[in-house]
Amino acid sequence: MLETGLILRALARNKIGALLIALQIALTMTIMVNAIFMIQDRQQQMQRKSGLDEKNSFYLTNTVFGQDYNIQAHLQTDLHTIRNTPGVVDAIQINAIPLSSSGWSMALQHEPGEDKDAVGTAIYMVDDHAINSMGLTLVAGANFQPEDVELRKEGQSTWPAKTIITQAFAENLYPDNWQSAVGKTVYISQTQPIQIIGIVAALQAPWNGWNGVERSMLVPFQRESKGSYYFIRTEAGRRDELMPIIEKTLAESDKKRIIRRVTTIEDTRERSYRQHNATNKILTTVVITLTLITGFGIVGLAIFSINRRTKQIGTRRALGATKGQIMRYFMMENFIISTFGIIIGCFGAVALNMWLVNTFNLSPISFQLVAFGVITLFIVGQLAVLYPARKAAMIAPATATRTI
Amino acid sequence: MLIMKNINKIFQTADIQTHALRDFCLQVNEGDFVSVTGPSGSGKTTFLNIAGLLETFSNGEFLLDGEDVGKLNDNGRSRMRNEKIGFIFQGFNLIPDLNLYDNVDVPLRYRGFNAKERKFRIEQNLERVGLASRMKHLPSQLSGGQQQRVAIARALATDPRFLLADEPTGNLDSEMAQSVMSLLEDINQQGTTIIMVTHDAQLAQRAKRTIQVKDGKVSELENISRQHNQAIA
Ligand SMILES: Nc1ncnc2c1ncn2[C@@H]1O[C@H](COP(=O)(O)OP(=O)(O)O)[C@@H](O)[C@H]1O
Ligand SMILES: [Mg+2]
Repeated sequence: MLETGLILRALARNKIGALLIALQIALTMTIMVNAIFMIQDRQQQMQRKSGLDEKNSFYLTNTVFGQDYNIQAHLQTDLHTIRNTPGVVDAIQINAIPLSSSGWSMALQHEPGEDKDAVGTAIYMVDDHAINSMGLTLVAGANFQPEDVELRKEGQSTWPAKTIITQAFAENLYPDNWQSAVGKTVYISQTQPIQIIGIVAALQAPWNGWNGVERSMLVPFQRESKGSYYFIRTEAGRRDELMPIIEKTLAESDKKRIIRRVTTIEDTRERSYRQHNATNKILTTVVITLTLITGFGIVGLAIFSINRRTKQIGTRRALGATKGQIMRYFMMENFIISTFGIIIGCFGAVALNMWLVNTFNLSPISFQLVAFGVITLFIVGQLAVLYPARKAAMIAPATATRTI
Repeated sequence: MLIMKNINKIFQTADIQTHALRDFCLQVNEGDFVSVTGPSGSGKTTFLNIAGLLETFSNGEFLLDGEDVGKLNDNGRSRMRNEKIGFIFQGFNLIPDLNLYDNVDVPLRYRGFNAKERKFRIEQNLERVGLASRMKHLPSQLSGGQQQRVAIARALATDPRFLLADEPTGNLDSEMAQSVMSLLEDINQQGTTIIMVTHDAQLAQRAKRTIQVKDGKVSELENISRQHNQAIA
């Protein structure tokens, strides 16, 4: 504007300070944009639906230590007891808990054989109450029937004839038309046929960091095992009240096993994403700290250069500059330095992002995020220089004659 | 025309009050060349700063070109400095980071002249002080006398009615001082009113009118000086 050319030429004679601040701005921009990007990425991960009725569900572990214990008979008694407790919607035995970070995985393939392509999936062994117990939504096909449910012996390697899979899994297996998955026979353990009879909207695998976390399958198995989970869903708002009741009832009904780790799904989610939350807090702190340091750096450089130029500023006032013109000089100077830093920062941000994309398989940053960084840093720069610029404007015109 | 009536200037610092000007009265006519002498601390710079609108006064009346300076706000004083007054300082006060061309450009930009007008005025005034060929030089590449000439070009570029100079030759050797003085005389010949503070009695004598400031008051020596000038002419 008014003095842009003169400011540029004066800056060119005092490069070092301005250059350092510009680089600081560039670095801040680079890190800020990518950190926010990573924060958003984690937030999106955390917002993914598990498919469960999380608010009203909990689970517990049942560990049998008694000898000559009829696991199968006791399992039926337990399920009967839990399901008939007032306030309980439904309950199942299950082999793994979504979001818990430990579970079982298998792979399904279109063709039988060892060298055929297979798609990995989490596998949940449940009975025909699973959809109701977990609060899943059946979007195609049918649920298991009671007669579909088989008893699975410890170490058994054969699989039931039917499965229900998630929609994301169906989309992966049948990209053209996921609904067509219903009725199809695929192969598990490379060679055993298994028919897809139903599709649920969503059910996450136990591992939140796995890129196939949306792929899960249900098989109608009740496990004859000394250690298993019971997954219980209650009526809305009754979870906390029922958790101790069910724990106590089960524990007292049978002394040859231990009931442990009575845990809500909300707690499980919190634990599952604790690392994510911590990392996001650290990144947020880094971004804020870096921005503040840059802001203070701008304040410092501006105050330093204004103190150094006191007489010059007085002279400019003597030559007819208004207070506003003096202020604008320093705002403009900062704008020029910021522009320079921000341009470098744009390249830096994209370069760092490209590296992250290649190294950690992240998606590319959006234009909006870069634009956000640009605007934020311009605002930070202008705000930071506001106080020094006001100070400069207050320098008395008489400084021109009063200082040597 | 500059008219000061009973101007007082009191500096208030912590617990000391300094009465820098006391009922200071002065009239400077169009085309005059006034030299101001007086002992150190007598109020010369204070007078010049008030005359040049760099400082406000405590009370009194000050008319510059018919305008009541006491009624102007800060922006009004800035505009008036830019339009009517040119300053020359003892320490030259050139902007060290800008070359001669850009230095002369500074007040022209504050005036808001367009690029063509500014270029014309910069070149014309650098020509006038004999430094047109050094336009791209930095102040540090010039001698003191040359720097003061650039400062004069800068002061003249806006076509001011008044040129105010506080010890303009104070940092120069006598040869350079003589040439700067001659330049000022030329400028005065061409119609610019000049008020110059100096403690060099010989240079002071070359002005059309000489006043002496003592204890913040004017004691006129102008008659002597007038006669002196007339005798030379
Ligand atoms: N900003 C100020 N604050 C306080 N006292 C000042 C200030 N400027 C000048 N003075 C005082 O006013 C008096 C006149 O100063 P000045 O006009 O600079 O004298 P001269 O230029 O004749 O040497 C001196 O006593 C000086 O100390
Ligand atoms: Mg002085």
